[in-house]
Amino acid sequence: MARNKYDIDEELVSVFRLKDLIRLLGYLKPYKLTMAVTVMLMLVASVANLLGPVLVQDAIDNRIPDGDVTGLVVLAGIFAATLVINAVCFKFRVRLMSTIGNNIVKKLREDIFYKLQELPFSYYDSRPHGKILVRVINYVNSLSDLLSNGFINFITDMFTLVCIVAFMLFINVKLTLISLLGLPPLIITIMFIKNIQRRNTQALSMKQSNLNAYIHESICGVKVTQSFAREKQNEGIFHELSTAYRKAWMKFIKSNFILWPIIDTISTGGVVLLYFAGIMWIQDISVGVLIAFVSYIWRFWLPITNMGNFYNAMINAMAYLERIFETIDEKPAIANKPGAAQMPQVKGRVEFKNVGFAYDVEEGNKILDNISFEFGPGSTVALVGPTGAGKSTVINLLSRFYDVQEGEVLIDGINLKDVTLNSIRRQMGVMLQDTFLFSGTVMSNIKYARPEATDEEAIQAAKTVCAHDFIINLKDGYDTEINERGTRLSIGERQLISFARALLADPRILILDEATSSIDTRTELALQNGLQRLLKGRTSFIIAHRLSTIKNADCIMYIDKGSIVERGTHEELLAAKGHYYKLYNSQFSVMKAV
Amino acid sequence: MQNIKWVWGYVRKYKLRICVSLIMALVASALSMVSPYVSGVIVDKVIRQGQTGLLVKLSVLIMGAIIAKAIIRFTYQISFEKVSQGAFMTIRESMYKKLQELDFKFFDTTRTGDIMAKMTGDMETVRHFIAWVIYMSFENSVIFLFAVILLFTINWQFTLIMLLVIPFLAWAAIKLASEVRPTFSAIRQQFSRLNSVVQENISGNRVIRAFATEKIEIGKFDRENEAYRQKNMDSANVWSKYLPIIDSLAGTLSLTIIIIGGILAINRQITLGELVTFNSIIWALGNPMKMSGWLINDVQRFNASADKIREFFDTGTSISNAEKPAENDIKGVVEFKNVSFGYESEEVLRSINLKVNPGQTIAIIGPTGSGKSTLVNLICRFYDCCQGEILIDGVNIKDIDLRNLREKIAVAMQDVFLFSDTIEGNIAYGVPDAPYESVKWAAGIADADSFISNLPEGYDTIIGERGVGLSGGQRQRIALARAILKDPSILILDDTTSSVDMETEFEIHKTLRSFYNNKTTFIIAHRIASVKNADNILVLNGGHIIEQGTHEELLKQKGYYYNVYLTQFGDFDAGTVQEVG
Repeated sequence: MARNKYDIDEELVSVFRLKDLIRLLGYLKPYKLTMAVTVMLMLVASVANLLGPVLVQDAIDNRIPDGDVTGLVVLAGIFAATLVINAVCFKFRVRLMSTIGNNIVKKLREDIFYKLQELPFSYYDSRPHGKILVRVINYVNSLSDLLSNGFINFITDMFTLVCIVAFMLFINVKLTLISLLGLPPLIITIMFIKNIQRRNTQALSMKQSNLNAYIHESICGVKVTQSFAREKQNEGIFHELSTAYRKAWMKFIKSNFILWPIIDTISTGGVVLLYFAGIMWIQDISVGVLIAFVSYIWRFWLPITNMGNFYNAMINAMAYLERIFETIDEKPAIANKPGAAQMPQVKGRVEFKNVGFAYDVEEGNKILDNISFEFGPGSTVALVGPTGAGKSTVINLLSRFYDVQEGEVLIDGINLKDVTLNSIRRQMGVMLQDTFLFSGTVMSNIKYARPEATDEEAIQAAKTVCAHDFIINLKDGYDTEINERGTRLSIGERQLISFARALLADPRILILDEATSSIDTRTELALQNGLQRLLKGRTSFIIAHRLSTIKNADCIMYIDKGSIVERGTHEELLAAKGHYYKLYNSQFSVMKAV
Repeated sequence: MQNIKWVWGYVRKYKLRICVSLIMALVASALSMVSPYVSGVIVDKVIRQGQTGLLVKLSVLIMGAIIAKAIIRFTYQISFEKVSQGAFMTIRESMYKKLQELDFKFFDTTRTGDIMAKMTGDMETVRHFIAWVIYMSFENSVIFLFAVILLFTINWQFTLIMLLVIPFLAWAAIKLASEVRPTFSAIRQQFSRLNSVVQENISGNRVIRAFATEKIEIGKFDRENEAYRQKNMDSANVWSKYLPIIDSLAGTLSLTIIIIGGILAINRQITLGELVTFNSIIWALGNPMKMSGWLINDVQRFNASADKIREFFDTGTSISNAEKPAENDIKGVVEFKNVSFGYESEEVLRSINLKVNPGQTIAIIGPTGSGKSTLVNLICRFYDCCQGEILIDGVNIKDIDLRNLREKIAVAMQDVFLFSDTIEGNIAYGVPDAPYESVKWAAGIADADSFISNLPEGYDTIIGERGVGLSGGQRQRIALARAILKDPSILILDDTTSSVDMETEFEIHKTLRSFYNNKTTFIIAHRIASVKNADNILVLNGGHIIEQGTHEELLKQKGYYYNVYLTQFGDFDAGTVQEVG
């Protein structure tokens, strides 16, 4: 799979997808009633609004010339009442619409976030993280206005339009039809602009995504940037991305703004046409009818202009919506089988049966080929071999980060594919090379996988892995706030904390992938003692370069080019004088060269 | 006001353009009056009085006005967009520049999500302010002023009565402004939190999968997501309280016309014609009033965001250039004189003294957390020491141009960060125009060339952020190649080969030695094999240098180093050793 980086645009479908819009409408469904109420409120308000000018007109035309003060007071009273009605409707409308809008934004964000929790490593590995982040945060937020105001206004405008057209038809059919003549050219123009507009919106969202990805990466990698004094070049790249964004924005905004003059011109043209038709061509129309009609014709175009507004907003939202739905629709490569059972309490028998695996099946580059082994509960297994031999892959398959393509992986005789992911991973502790810590206190990080653990248990775990001493020397001890990724702690310290985290999770199967590489020799020696206790009764798999970590394993497997070429205890393998012996030997000669 | 002044600093250079655009806006507004007026004429003259001959002329007038208006309006709207994009881009780029200048301390204590929130959400609010709020406020004020002046010339007494509503309006506006402001601050703060939670979730996806803690993560997210919704609702509840009030207050203008204007007219204190004119201009007073509520909202939203952005700009960088930085070439004599350093209350290094000459290799060994990385970080001025001084070529590093200093030092950090770029781009990070051969050469020294060449796309392989998809050892070797390619005077290897197997590490160091014969080299490592050939080995413990000397000297001292040596040697059983030997 091709990976994406900050300056590569993500591909998008080029056709307008009505189904995305329909899907979005699905989010509005639970709010049908609220929306109906809101539309009602808006109608009441608009009636009250329309009444205002009529009252003022009445006052000026009739009451004042008549000197009718009581009449004026009555009119003023009615007018005051319309103001109150209007204000009340306004208030509730805003509240209801905000509720709907914010609830849907929340729901949409939940959907995309929950989905992200199911997606495999490869999804995260193949694109800059900043691009994922903006989808969850900024894209979803950008829909807020469309959802809260857009749809409701649209419905109200539709309603108003229908009423006005009905009223116009009631006055005069011919004139109405002539007025509607303006619509076909408008629709044709809109269809024409639509594609341009859509392309521009997509371009904008891609440039925005690229820019954000670069910002994100610049923040994460700022220490490297500073240490390489590369700020100037980065500013240059940022300037390019920023300029690309600005250009895309200007194009986008032009195609957005062009809609208004067009609607304006066409609507005015329609009115002029009406005058000509009414005055010159159609003879059987009374002056009164014509005047009444002319006063309504402007009201006819107002909702249409508003709908054009909505249309713009919708086209803009589509580019974001597409991205959001694309993520929600992403197929998790590894999913629970329908009706997958819960994994019962793991005893620890691990079995690989003729396992074959390639990360990219089409490429056919087999990483593992016909691997078989079986270990009983409580065994400690060490994996050794050159870089890229497939050690980490064995571990990835065992944790079911990937599914095997050939053969099967069994734990306690149960095929991993037959049980739920969560129930198996929860009983498995994996300590990765990448020791990611979350922002929060040291304590909360140790308790990460088991928040219900007591402080004593957490401290005990820290003591076991020799982390206690350095933790209590921190500013606030276990309550010291650490940043995400644990900045300021050294890697060795981070490894110790994540070790404590794995220990506290109390897994049945423990996997250590280069987990102690940055820990100094003395601490490691002390750690070995703790580790022995930790490993007792658990099945464990260890990848390490240090002989001290490997030596005491019940079985050492030497993996090369995707196969197990040797297996046995330390002594057996040395006696066999094969690969392991050679490895041992070369390490020893390095030492001896001292 | 401070915020508006701040943003004005960026917009100021477009003064002329803004003036022209505003004039165009006024012309467009005037033109938009043409068609209602001419429509009235058509009704009066053409329809009522039957002067059909005028129709063509009047129609041309209407169409001409609307087309002229369309063109002018489009032009000034685009013009405003240009201004806002120009200013917006300047702000964004200064933010980016600032971001890169901030010291490690800032990044140690600030969440990535927080900074992201400032550079996306807050920036968007600022853009909206420049593009929309400024010009809307201006347009509405101008319309309002014109209307007031016009009405004054017609009947100033009645105008004053009409304006009696202003104090009430001002009261509502002030209430709204002061009550809504904190809600917008709360929203953007929550936005920041939401950003952080999601950002960490994405960055930590491996750990989350490994521990199957998706439920916990969802719990964290749900809390922030719901809080974000709630903050938005809190805000909506505030403005939905005041906006209808403001709206109704604007509506009372018509009420004044009916009741007060009516009575005045009946008493002949105002003519009916004047009242009609008042009624036809009243929208020009009312609309800006109604608009003021929305604009106040936008302004306060802007204020909340601008506060955060300005705060970011005001963040102090403790590490910056001296007034007149020295620009000399760096040869690589590094000297520590009584250097102490601590993060807040935690003391990390205590009175370190040290001198290294070019061509020498210094190895540092010691327990986890003993201050090894901190010591080398001080040389690059990632932090400044609290006491004592560090000299390079006899010059205090605080007096050396920061850029010059860092260009001459290459660090391969223990926490390897790779960018989502090609492998070639990553290795050439410090020397972007390096030819392919040099990149390959550097990779060769770092023992990375063979595995890179074996990748299907070789050096053009795009690696994910943080180099995912590569093993720890491979990432470290790429980072090492990146440092080597920079060809520095001072090379710092901070535990760079810990995930590489022992023989490879040994080989790398052997190759490196030929490469760094005229450079100053610092090596932090845990394996005796990596450090034993150094000219001077420092053993750090608790921030002190507890032992130093060559390998042989340290073995003789039978201290910490000796013990580590024995332990590592102890990995090999005496029996087998003899057999192998």
